Amino acid sequence: MSTHSKAAKRFVADAERMAWHDKALYAVREKRDRMMMTVPEWEGLRRLSSEIKRHTLSRLGHYLCEFERNATANGMVVHWAKDAAEMNATVWELVREHGGTNLIKSKSMLSEECGLTPYLEERGVDAVESDLGERIMQLLHRPPSHIVLPAIAVRREEVGTLFEREMHTEPGNSDPTYLTHAARKALRPKFLDADISMTGVNFAVASTGALAVCTNEGNADLGTSFADLHIAIMGIEKVIPDMAALAVFTRLLARSGTGQPVTSYTSLYRRPAPGKQIHVILVDNGRSEWLADAAHRNMLKCLRCGACLNTCPVYRRSGGSTYSYFIPGPLGINLGMLRSPKLYHGNVSACSLCYSCSDVCPAQIDLGEQIYMWRQQLDGLHLADPVKKLSVKGMDFIMGGRRRFYGGIALARAAEKLPRFVLENGLNPWSAPGRAMPPFAPKTFNGWWKKTKKDE
Amino acid sequence: MSSKDEILKKLSADGMPEYPYPVPDFTPQRFDDPAATFAERLEAAGGRAVRMAPDETLDDVVRRCYPDARTIASTMPELGIATLDPDAVEDPRELVDVDLGVVTGAFGVAENGAVWIAQDIRHKALYFGATALVIVIPKDAIVDTMHEAVMRPEVDDFGYGCFMSGPSKTADIEQALVFGAHGPMSVTVVIRA
Repeated sequence: MSTHSKAAKRFVADAERMAWHDKALYAVREKRDRMMMTVPEWEGLRRLSSEIKRHTLSRLGHYLCEFERNATANGMVVHWAKDAAEMNATVWELVREHGGTNLIKSKSMLSEECGLTPYLEERGVDAVESDLGERIMQLLHRPPSHIVLPAIAVRREEVGTLFEREMHTEPGNSDPTYLTHAARKALRPKFLDADISMTGVNFAVASTGALAVCTNEGNADLGTSFADLHIAIMGIEKVIPDMAALAVFTRLLARSGTGQPVTSYTSLYRRPAPGKQIHVILVDNGRSEWLADAAHRNMLKCLRCGACLNTCPVYRRSGGSTYSYFIPGPLGINLGMLRSPKLYHGNVSACSLCYSCSDVCPAQIDLGEQIYMWRQQLDGLHLADPVKKLSVKGMDFIMGGRRRFYGGIALARAAEKLPRFVLENGLNPWSAPGRAMPPFAPKTFNGWWKKTKKDE
Repeated sequence: MSSKDEILKKLSADGMPEYPYPVPDFTPQRFDDPAATFAERLEAAGGRAVRMAPDETLDDVVRRCYPDARTIASTMPELGIATLDPDAVEDPRELVDVDLGVVTGAFGVAENGAVWIAQDIRHKALYFGATALVIVIPKDAIVDTMHEAVMRPEVDDFGYGCFMSGPSKTADIEQALVFGAHGPMSVTVVIRA
């Protein structure tokens, strides 16, 4: 059994919670569909977005250098980091040079990827997540379970109890408005007293040397309003050619992810304010190698909108914490395999091959097709499940001969008459609690065909 | 070899053929009444659009929209009821939790209810720290889509700028929509007569 199926057992054990999670995410998917309907050129936009990304990736070095040149001319400082360790060390050096231990952070998947927050905490830096969902997860000491809805698997009562402990809210009050405003109040001093602010980057515009940061809460913007040092971290695939491209991506991002026409704030940082500094760190951490992998380089087109998670029937019913890679869903299955097939191949089975993810992706990434491809690659990587391999060998033997095949069917029809407890137990890999073995049709197709022919 | 050179060297050896910059195969949507679509989508984003009547002053509109605001920060000379000049403040923290900020926006975007603000005040903290925000935009300054928006001259020259669509919001607790996550709880866009 894969690592994902094992972990999902715990999630599905709470049927009510699973149903809620499924419904909540599907509602987001439906919001996305409604948004799509309001844009007649939607499919043209998706195609354009995919092609702009492909063009950019094919000239990535060129655009990164153009971005660096323009951002530097605008007064920013650009750093390059080849891996997580170098990014973390660069951040730490900037923090040390600047002084202060209070850092206010807005959401960044790259920071999760590089383990930045624990790295800074070990060095005495209080790195506070300011996005509400991320803050909830930070206080719960649990990783986010969705890339744009970090606390989607946490119920309001849990947040109520957490805030009662952390922010002294009224006991038993789990009203989302009340709790959100309590967090607003509690985080105010963290913003005002921050020595350093940190943000991720949604898009880095090469032609203008500007950084685009998209949020709904305004936490990134409030964070960068007080501290005089702003550190922005980005994967190298986040660079885009120009403002025309930015228009395409901003039209797609929030419509696809959360079902809004645009995020509340699409902020562009171009020049540091007088007396302030902006440092940008361009991080590779494996991306240049993924780009060389022709079968899977499409993953670098990702806008990180979350649409593939919202639509995935497996993700919706198993939750983000059941995937062994820090990004769940179709996106995480693929990125995990690029990172390390050995460590993360336990996720490739978390897919029904419905390809809904490929249909909703605003960059037209073939996410489902790539998962299928990874499954074909497992054996070559010596990571195929021995039980499955054996059963495939067995099936190959049985189906390989006419007599063996019909003999097998006759045997299975006889076996069906066996008592349920014999069929539905742990030895049958297709048997699971809550799932009954389907009955065989009363007649085989072959039998029916022969009889029909005869009757004619 | 520096990290930059190392990364660039790897990228140049990625074996990927060069693809040309694509040409769009569609004409972006247009709206019959961009101002009406703007107002409708801004409302859906939790904000509201108000048109100034020909005989109204900015003071009148702001009072009409926010009768209870006591501390009002604005650099706009025509706003007589402003109580605070945000540019005269040394520490941006003083602008946090003022009742109302009144600021200038360049134009609105019909398809998503956003307004482009190119920072023209000393501290951008006012945009995000004020409890409510009024953004004043010129008459007829509404474009259809983001394609047009990014080509406007106002989006070519700025230090910090923002497409702002309604108030700060979150749905991080059980997908329940709440306004005023960290930034303004309420946003009104005033369109000049």
